[in-house]
Amino acid sequence: MTEYGLRIGAAGVRAAGPITFGPAGILFLADNVSAKVFAVDVADPGQQAGSEPFDLADVDLRVGSFLGCEAGDVLIRDMAVHPVSHNVYLSVQRGQGDAGLPVLVRIDRLDGSVTDVPLDHVPFAEVAITDAPAPDDERLDITLPQGSEGEDLQVGERTIRILRQPIRTSTVTDMAYLDGTLVIAGLSNEEFSSKLRLIPFPFSDQVSSSSLEIFHVSHGKWETAAPIRTFVPYDGGRGILASYTCTPVVHFPVADLTPGVKIVGRTVAELGAVNQPLDMVSFDQDGAEYLLVANTAHGLVKIACSDIDGQPPLTEPREPVGVPRETKDLRGITRLANLGGSHVLALQSDDEGRKHLRSLKTASL
Amino acid sequence: MTDASWSRCDDAACVRLTGLPPDPEIQVRSGPAVVDGGLPPMAGRLVVDGGDVCFVPRFPFVGGTTYAVVVGGVTVAVLVHPRPDHPATTEVIEIRPTATEVPRNLLRIYIRFSAPMSEGYAAGQVRLIDDFGRELPGALLPAEHELWDGGRRRLTVLLDPARIKRGLAGHRQAGYPLRYGQPFRLVVDDGFLDAAGARLRARAERRYEVGADQRDRIEPGSWTLTAPACGTLDPLDVAFGRPLDHGLLARCLRVVGPDDRVVDGRPEIGPQERSWRLAPRAAWAPGIHRLVIDPVLEDLAGNSVSRVFDRDLSRAEDEPREAGPVTRSFRPR
Repeated sequence: MTEYGLRIGAAGVRAAGPITFGPAGILFLADNVSAKVFAVDVADPGQQAGSEPFDLADVDLRVGSFLGCEAGDVLIRDMAVHPVSHNVYLSVQRGQGDAGLPVLVRIDRLDGSVTDVPLDHVPFAEVAITDAPAPDDERLDITLPQGSEGEDLQVGERTIRILRQPIRTSTVTDMAYLDGTLVIAGLSNEEFSSKLRLIPFPFSDQVSSSSLEIFHVSHGKWETAAPIRTFVPYDGGRGILASYTCTPVVHFPVADLTPGVKIVGRTVAELGAVNQPLDMVSFDQDGAEYLLVANTAHGLVKIACSDIDGQPPLTEPREPVGVPRETKDLRGITRLANLGGSHVLALQSDDEGRKHLRSLKTASL
Repeated sequence: MTDASWSRCDDAACVRLTGLPPDPEIQVRSGPAVVDGGLPPMAGRLVVDGGDVCFVPRFPFVGGTTYAVVVGGVTVAVLVHPRPDHPATTEVIEIRPTATEVPRNLLRIYIRFSAPMSEGYAAGQVRLIDDFGRELPGALLPAEHELWDGGRRRLTVLLDPARIKRGLAGHRQAGYPLRYGQPFRLVVDDGFLDAAGARLRARAERRYEVGADQRDRIEPGSWTLTAPACGTLDPLDVAFGRPLDHGLLARCLRVVGPDDRVVDGRPEIGPQERSWRLAPRAAWAPGIHRLVIDPVLEDLAGNSVSRVFDRDLSRAEDEPREAGPVTRSFRPR
């Protein structure tokens, strides 16, 4: 893993956030407390998987039992499937506040057993994702730290340990790895913008991140920016479909991702009122590519990529809005990941709030 | 006879077992796994400590959680880990904006706490209600990703932008989150836990009147600058004519002197976020000074210096401004 700049040590992850696989079984893990992305070699022990499905009931109970806590103390922040073994990785925050611990959980797809990737001794690299501070923005929240973090400050004859943390932060909402570049969508806690951040991988001290802003137009009348909640590359990495917090689904070509340039994406669909996109995947069915969008209010939404390519920008308000879509009677799904080519793995909550892993056969979607 | 109790070993909390049979198979099972043998046991390691064996968990025991100690398939003890008693000392120290009236298309509210907080409570403990105590449903953006500052003391709450932006399905189907002329309150309930797990000392709220939409760019050219007297430490006063975003105000304004250096001083945001002043550390020099405004500065409705929040493409006057800082000049009197 030295070719990717990974070194063994304690990764110092403070919070579990979005995860996605990159090259050679390296998992990217966003930490929204320390404002970093970690690249971690998960050293997956599994063999090459076939096309078998994987289902696991009560995944939050199982993970809680392994972690020694109640299911309510298990916050599953994201899910990824190892591209070779199909073992399932969960980004889990165990507990909250000072007692909160980030854990990278691995679930063996052969027997459903639960282990974790020890983040205190692992090959890793890291990159800071803090927005470059404006020259006049030195605002820091100064607190008394837990443990050994922070710095010494001399106050009269006393030395106290303080932690300086930025007031302005950027929260990673989704990530994807695209041919040597980690693409990151985020949400600022101050300005309302629509930035995608591009970070070359392997991480380098010389090459910092760059960003670009992607606007969208609703009905040919109003141009606006908004944070991207979730996105997915498709068409062999040539296109990106992004879903915004204000629910338009917007297409833009990857070739347009030039740092510093303003892009106006093409709005192809909307998900409807009081609804939030949660996750997206693309999959093949009978030689054609489709997208699945998990959202808070409706069942899974299925969209044909050919319809996206042929969809003119939305110019008139009409219902249903945008490309033809099929809404599946699959509710409570919060995360999606490809399980090889034959299945999509879904993290699904039932009516009682219990969480299950469920394989959806792509041929039947 | 085998017995198990809370103890410490290797500088960590553990379960200490005494009176074990030879070659025991030991498991600690938590929560639902106490009764459901199909669930995995808790991760941990066994440490021989004198004549005892200690189970040291891989992840710390959780206060209030039940743990069963199972030896050779038989439960020998059921222990509840003590829950530390945290008094409620944390409180909400400010809710911004402090303007008494906000535009109907208000986008953002900041809540500042007196101590670091736990995540995961914003959706359940922060709400908008009307004067009759009825909740405004779907007004706030669902907070799967809560927006905290680095110290976990300031929470940013967004109103649902899909309901504010014209033309979007959310706006057409559900309308604005707020209603013109109908006051509302932002309420932070005391069940919002701080980082230590304690409730707030009290619930907090702020009431707002709802005024007309704000749908134009911030125009620094219309601001009123009151120049200080040369050679004094009097502040520069800047009045905006409308309330601006508190978080962005704190970093988007600076003053540059005739020597092209930033004037060092104490900035202060005025009442209702409608003004800003800078008291210099050194007396004002003669010559032309510039107030430099970062174009990302937004008002309460998300309109910035550079663009309208949702730009009507047919209005030429709403064309975005060129990127780059905007300046206003002044000369100390």
